[in-house]
Amino acid sequence: MALLNRDDWYDIARDVDWSFSYVDRDEAFPEAWVGANGIPPEAWEDWEEPFRVSYRDYVKVQREKETGVGAIRDAMIRADLYAHLDPGHRASSHLHMGTTCMVEQMAVTMQSRFCRFAPSPKWRSLGVFGMLDEIRHAQLDLRFSHDLLKDEPRFDWCQKAFHTNEWGVIAVRNFFDDVMLNAGCIEAALATSLTVEHGFTNMQFVALASDAMEAGDINFSNLLSSIQTDEARHAQVGFPTLDVVIKHDPARAQRIIDVAFWRAFRLFQTLTGTAMDYYTPVEKRKMSFKEFMLEWIVKHHERILRDYGLKLPWYWDKFLLALDHGHHALHIGTWFWRPTLFWKPNGGISPAERRWLNEKYPSWDDSWGVLWDQIIENIRAGRMDKTLPETLPALCNLTQLPLGSAIDRHHLGKQQVEYEGRVYHFDSDVSRWVFELDPARYAGHMNVVDRFIAGQIQPMNLEGGLNWMGLTPDVMGDDAYDYRWARDEAEQPLQAAE
Amino acid sequence: MALFPIIGRFDGDFVPHLVAVDTEDSMDQIAEKVAVHAVGRRMPVNADADGYEVLLDDRVLDGGQTLAALMGETPVPPLQWFDVRWKT
Repeated sequence: MALLNRDDWYDIARDVDWSFSYVDRDEAFPEAWVGANGIPPEAWEDWEEPFRVSYRDYVKVQREKETGVGAIRDAMIRADLYAHLDPGHRASSHLHMGTTCMVEQMAVTMQSRFCRFAPSPKWRSLGVFGMLDEIRHAQLDLRFSHDLLKDEPRFDWCQKAFHTNEWGVIAVRNFFDDVMLNAGCIEAALATSLTVEHGFTNMQFVALASDAMEAGDINFSNLLSSIQTDEARHAQVGFPTLDVVIKHDPARAQRIIDVAFWRAFRLFQTLTGTAMDYYTPVEKRKMSFKEFMLEWIVKHHERILRDYGLKLPWYWDKFLLALDHGHHALHIGTWFWRPTLFWKPNGGISPAERRWLNEKYPSWDDSWGVLWDQIIENIRAGRMDKTLPETLPALCNLTQLPLGSAIDRHHLGKQQVEYEGRVYHFDSDVSRWVFELDPARYAGHMNVVDRFIAGQIQPMNLEGGLNWMGLTPDVMGDDAYDYRWARDEAEQPLQAAE
Repeated sequence: MALFPIIGRFDGDFVPHLVAVDTEDSMDQIAEKVAVHAVGRRMPVNADADGYEVLLDDRVLDGGQTLAALMGETPVPPLQWFDVRWKT
């Protein structure tokens, strides 16, 4: 029997909706899950997606992608590729797997909520593919990491990380709990699909795949590229959603996107900024994190805002300043508190690397080099105790990241708020603004410092903190190159460990 | 006497710290407890300085004043931000 052409049935099949008789529409689509916030149900009849994907098409394409990933995976395992990778690049892959895999899994839940509660039947249909995509991404990460467990116990954190209290993981989990799992469909689509996925991770995966290929990690590069092709498709649900929200409540659209952009950017600085400007071997770096952001993220975001008649966020100048500094702050911070990591960061301040940093960031020496000078002096003098922390950094009550990690030491200042009898601190006036938009939403969360003071971490010292975070000696962070970059003889770019 | 948590930032360093002080500590003692996390770790020692001074909201506090005495003058909630800098 001949099959109908897709266009003969597609518009009917994807637009099947219910006529309710036993329940009200509001009971079937509760406001808490939809998050329409006053946008009438009929407004969503205009929601239109550009992909026109049938399940049959989807399976065919996905099968081809899986075949491609599997073939390269098998070849790379046989070649024992991982053993020959640079330690700095290895750190990037540990960091990525530990902080990303379970976000993919959380996205399965978000997409499944779209399948059930999205206000347009077309969106609900498309959500099925998004959900299947995200299942695939989580499974790909787990399979990649499982293959490498025999080489490296840190890949255990691909699955384990989100079930620990490691502080960086808490920061990631806190954001995605909020915008993926607890936001209604509309906010989730604008904050996650449009801002995080389309604006950041879609491009991040392109850059990370490119860096991985340069570093010789063909398997990781191929996996990232395969995931990125899915992201580029399912992230598109953000645009028709924005079309509808703009017509009915443009101020809300602006607010959701501005909040999500800042919060996503802060995590992006942590996870990608450090990897691009410090972990990737200097001779393999194609562009700095700032150059990448300006070329791929900033232009793109500005264009979207302009196309939809939205304004640049009020904090745009502060964001551009943070591009010069935030990830350098996060790098020196994560390196200094390295026992609290499940990966081995590359200090990465050899003379050659330092020249590169100053070329890319002309104020780097003044803002950051002077602090590293003292660290290097301590390493050379054998005062390793002085290169390690004796207390916790103060943490932001919005991003959960250290205070001072959004800018440099010359711009650091107090952002302190009292709300219902409690003091809250913020890493910037932008994070403070986000909190003050909706304090009830954020005020109840305890960051690691709050939990420490509340007595949840025992004994109340570094050892107690590391135990509480689930960090064991086999994965605990230390310098990726055993501090060779800091020695007098470190005149040349460092080579992979023997 | 009671342990009391503050946020201590050493001027010139990039990150403030959680610092446990005692309500009977003088400001000079609090300055030492904040500085130990920055000076000699990321901040070089300043041989020309005459110790440290503590600031609250840009006001230099008397080095001999205790935290308890300060609390008698002005509200100081847990996790209050204090700045510490070289005294020159």
